[in-house]
Amino acid sequence: MKNILIGGIGNVLLGDDAVGPYVIHLLECSYRFDHSVEIADLGTPALDLTHRIAGRDAVILVDCIASKDYEPGTVLLIRKDDLLRAMPLQRLDPHSPALAECLMTANMLGAAPEQMLLVGIVAQSYEPGHPLSETVRGAARKAIDAILEELQPLGVEFKENPSPGEPSTWWSNDLELCSRTDC
Amino acid sequence: MAKRITIDPITRIEGHLRIDVEVENNAVSNAWASCTMWRGIEKILRGRDPRDAWLFTQRFCGVCTTVHAMASVRSVEDALKLEVPLNAQYIRNLILIAHALHDHIVHFYQLSALDWVDVLQIPKADAAATSKLAESISPWTRNSRNELKAAQDRINAVASSGQLGIFANGYWGHPAMHLSPEVNLLAFLHYVQALEYQRKALQVVGILGSKTPHIQNLTVGGVANAIDLDSQAALGTDKLEMIRTLLAEVTQFVQQVYFVDVCAVAAMYPEWFKIGSGVRNYLAVPDLPLDSKGSAYDLPGGYIRNGELGDVKSFKTASDPVFRQSVSEDVMHAYYQGEKALHPWMGETEPAFTGWDGEQKYSWVKAPRFNNEPMQVGPLAQMLIGYAQGHALTRKYTDVAMEKIAAIGGVRPNPAMLHSTLGRHAARAIRACMLAELAQKHWQLLVDNIAKGDYTVHNQPVLPSHEVEGVGTHEAPRGTLSHWVVIKDEKIKNYQAVVPSTWNASPRDRSGAHGPYEASLLHTPLARPEEPLEVLRTVHSFDPCMACACHAFDPSGQKIAVARIL
Repeated sequence: MKNILIGGIGNVLLGDDAVGPYVIHLLECSYRFDHSVEIADLGTPALDLTHRIAGRDAVILVDCIASKDYEPGTVLLIRKDDLLRAMPLQRLDPHSPALAECLMTANMLGAAPEQMLLVGIVAQSYEPGHPLSETVRGAARKAIDAILEELQPLGVEFKENPSPGEPSTWWSNDLELCSRTDC
Repeated sequence: MAKRITIDPITRIEGHLRIDVEVENNAVSNAWASCTMWRGIEKILRGRDPRDAWLFTQRFCGVCTTVHAMASVRSVEDALKLEVPLNAQYIRNLILIAHALHDHIVHFYQLSALDWVDVLQIPKADAAATSKLAESISPWTRNSRNELKAAQDRINAVASSGQLGIFANGYWGHPAMHLSPEVNLLAFLHYVQALEYQRKALQVVGILGSKTPHIQNLTVGGVANAIDLDSQAALGTDKLEMIRTLLAEVTQFVQQVYFVDVCAVAAMYPEWFKIGSGVRNYLAVPDLPLDSKGSAYDLPGGYIRNGELGDVKSFKTASDPVFRQSVSEDVMHAYYQGEKALHPWMGETEPAFTGWDGEQKYSWVKAPRFNNEPMQVGPLAQMLIGYAQGHALTRKYTDVAMEKIAAIGGVRPNPAMLHSTLGRHAARAIRACMLAELAQKHWQLLVDNIAKGDYTVHNQPVLPSHEVEGVGTHEAPRGTLSHWVVIKDEKIKNYQAVVPSTWNASPRDRSGAHGPYEASLLHTPLARPEEPLEVLRTVHSFDPCMACACHAFDPSGQKIAVARIL
């Protein structure tokens, strides 16, 4: 059985930056996967991402993207070889290591995942405390289609959840809801 | 699903530190530290239930989620005068220690060692000679010629491919690099091994916290770990044994590898004991509480002014009245509105962006001050404050470090030389040894307390209807962290986090006093100003993390292929 990670990346407190965690929560609500798949809300993991991706057969990360060239809500796919061609950041803030740097570190150790896909969603705004913009939320379905298409050739078995719930987005619940102990 | 291939900038980064230096006669003559993104996260806590705050605060940062969760529950407990059961204190302490060990190991190897270690010299090393050298300084059993050769082969592969990958941005061959190829190889082997051992430390956080990043086991008044020695689902014998084994392995790595490597770098770059001093006011808070009230601690706190170790003042508790009263934040040179320096309970976070202007406003980081003075925080502050107070554990490992440096380099540094770039690295390694020893102690305290039949993990919080204030502190890997909360009508009225990197990365205040990063850079000699490796060495020695201060995407990005879904 393969070893596959689907991870959502982003800071849930910063508007559209929550789209990575949101998409994977939506995915978890909507589908049931076999045991080859681990689904994780990774927050903004910096270098800790290295050991989350190292040694896997396949890694799919969902993240939001800053871009002046694309409309908010555009879904972009970026593959491992292209991420490896990126230039690592100047290490001024030593906690800068990010997605590409973690992949490069794993690659240097000979432990890069066989296959890696970044599903990126172009963000509209990163206002602290704001919920996902409608445009970006509306792109979640497309991102999920891209994830499922990536999983198919890997032989992953999954089926739709007959009674999908709403994904938990506790961070953007309104204040009344959020004072409940279960939120 | 249609795709179109195109080119687009993309890079995620955790906040954005910017350093500007002016250089005259190959030395830094002026410096500015700034942060390029707004942090307004505290505002979203207003009006929320204070018992929920920690879930939000641990999302401030991706690297130090745990520390913001801990400081948050402590701030509410302080406001409610709520005691924390012994089991909960020990479990929290173990999480904090494991997180800090993980963090210190990663900081040295993955994030700053390559300021001192020249990766491209490694192909010239003799693996057998390296192994012999390693044996002479450490009993670590994983310094064999075979392991060294394998590490060297990795670098050979990278160097011969012409694609340096993760090493593409280093200042290789810089004249300020002068370790032998063998020492470079040994350090690189440990860089690879560090990835393995930091993960073991993180596993301890995961076992106790249920998830990492973002632990799930905290609650105001204690922890949510059910204790049942016979259950695999609860915190029982199995998990406790797993934690003990992991901590023992990490301790061995810290004491035989990390500590020794830092001493070796210090011994071989002694000139860096004279560079990078800067602000000699130091601040640390007591941590690792030993009782439910928080009246005794394993790590001491206090403050030192102007480097006068003899005049050290101590804090008796983690929310000492002097600390509570003396902190303020100045926004004269930060992109916020406001005229006066404000106490965090009165703190405001209203943006007033002007663009970078070194004479006026130039940073999104506020300038925290202690009795109106800038303070350096972090392991060096904690080590000096402990040493000055005669704290036995601090003295023990500081003395071992001084002897080790003398044994390798021939010159014995004195504690006054620790006001420096190397001093910050040495202090962090000393602190890691202390924490590793304390990990065993707190594990034993937890096990002994459970053996007495005490399974209590939580005291129920009661929110008063009148207004209350609290401060929760934690001596985090980067230094003193404090969360300040005002609670009214069972809701958060105000919330401010004064984070370690805010103290250290602080801009000038209204008196013009530099923050610690800025001050530490002044007079730094630069061999090649166009390749300011020396600036990086000093800035990295603080272990900066702007992630809690802000969060951003890099606007200037990469030219790589991107497929667009139409």
